[in-house]
Amino acid sequence: MELQFKSELTISESGFLFDHATGLTYTLNSTGQFIFRNIQDKQNARSILSLVMNEFEVNEDTAHKDLDDFIRQLKEFNLVGE
Amino acid sequence: MINKKAYSKPTIIRHSVGVQNKFGRPPATVPINRLDGFKVSELAEKHGSPLFVLSVKALRDRYRDMNRAFTTRYPNFQIAYSYKTNYLKSVCNILKQEGAWSEVVSGFEYDIARNIDVPGNQIIFNGPYKTHEELIRAFEEGAIVNLDNYDEMQVVEEIADELDKVLEVGIRINMDLNDPPWHKFGFNVEAGHAFEAVKRAQSGGKLKVVGLHIHTGTYVDDVTVYSRAAQGLVNFYAYIQEQLNIKLKYWDLGGGYASHNTLHGAYMPAEQTCPTFDQYAEAICPILLNGPFQAQDAPKLFIEPGRALIDEPFSLITSVVSQKRLPSGQRGVLLDSGMNIMSSVQWYRYNFQTAQDSGAMLEDTIVYGGLCMNIDVLQASSSIPPVRRGDLLVIHHVGAYNISQSWQFIYLRPAIIAIEDGEVHVIKKAETREYVQSFENVPDSFISNK
Repeated sequence: MELQFKSELTISESGFLFDHATGLTYTLNSTGQFIFRNIQDKQNARSILSLVMNEFEVNEDTAHKDLDDFIRQLKEFNLVGE
Repeated sequence: MINKKAYSKPTIIRHSVGVQNKFGRPPATVPINRLDGFKVSELAEKHGSPLFVLSVKALRDRYRDMNRAFTTRYPNFQIAYSYKTNYLKSVCNILKQEGAWSEVVSGFEYDIARNIDVPGNQIIFNGPYKTHEELIRAFEEGAIVNLDNYDEMQVVEEIADELDKVLEVGIRINMDLNDPPWHKFGFNVEAGHAFEAVKRAQSGGKLKVVGLHIHTGTYVDDVTVYSRAAQGLVNFYAYIQEQLNIKLKYWDLGGGYASHNTLHGAYMPAEQTCPTFDQYAEAICPILLNGPFQAQDAPKLFIEPGRALIDEPFSLITSVVSQKRLPSGQRGVLLDSGMNIMSSVQWYRYNFQTAQDSGAMLEDTIVYGGLCMNIDVLQASSSIPPVRRGDLLVIHHVGAYNISQSWQFIYLRPAIIAIEDGEVHVIKKAETREYVQSFENVPDSFISNK
């Protein structure tokens, strides 16, 4: 499944995120930023999971569960849709 | 081999405006790895989770600090520890070692005190319900008994007949000090009931009023309430001295002293609002010393602290069982402890701190207890770093009421350990099924033969 941002978003190098449509701001940690940039690069959830596992010291179960939770949260914040 | 980066759970936090205030407590991102020198993870591994941990040093320090604050301001002072807040035998013994007397509010608590050899004349027996047998024992052993109501006064007069002597008693009084006022215990001063009660007790010829007791409330963090109570005691003493020629041996300002726990709905954290023992003592002692007596005849001053002594020395180690995302977007974390061992979550907004480095990104989280009950919520909103199943959390200041009011429900209650001088002592073993069912009996006729 492909994830798409719903509006124009700008993220700084330190993980500060600005939503141009709503004016709301967010902070992402380094793993969150990594996933976020891969969504920007049009990666789907499955490929993001492998990218996370290549990049970070983490087992698949944990990465999978955390990625699902992170994407759920992005949807709750109305930042992404499918 | 390629070196991979250290992983932390991906997190996104939405910024809120106007929620935090300048008095907010610092974020709880520093992990609590150790309790009194011992690794939290090793304590949990050895003794199980959840686990109550008593810092004996912290308990002794709290007692000594409070005792110092009052003894330096009043010539004839004695702490009587409020057993109901936590009557673990080890706790009662440690405070007895420190010099505390015992304040008990039931025959069961009285028996706990006597069982650890507290002399009867170092026990204050309060509480609105004392049986005839319990009262006889208390008077025979020389305990201080404060009377709550006329029915009790009548029973004690009967006991005076049985023992064939005039019994010395204290009278519990209450005043309009808070909103709503505490009228449950004793006789009201403003309505004239307290004077009537003292007069009635004295005039029967079987009792001699030698003490007054007042309890201002619970978690009273406004020291002026104690000042008003002290002034009320002074005024009332002067009046009964003048009218009835009463000479007090003691007066007792009860308990209610606050601990460093933040109440639900409080604007500022308790770290900034909880009075020091010096502030309480300063609010009380100078006023009492203006009472109707010469300094050498000052009635003995009792106070009956519970939570202020016992909350801080206890911590709870508890484990994360699971986490989930709620429809609101809020994170939910479920723990292996519940309201059955943490009843004080009804009043306190606890701080949940991780026992391991979990990253600095705090997220608003609802903390669920592990009971299969929807109401089992330990905290509706708490800032917690990313955690996963098996991670340990530490909750500080959990010593008052949680253990004495705990209920055994679907889980066995956990072990309790005490740490002092680099040694860990198990002061209460974790419950077993056999222990919980040990008083049960199943008649043979109920047992299926199949």
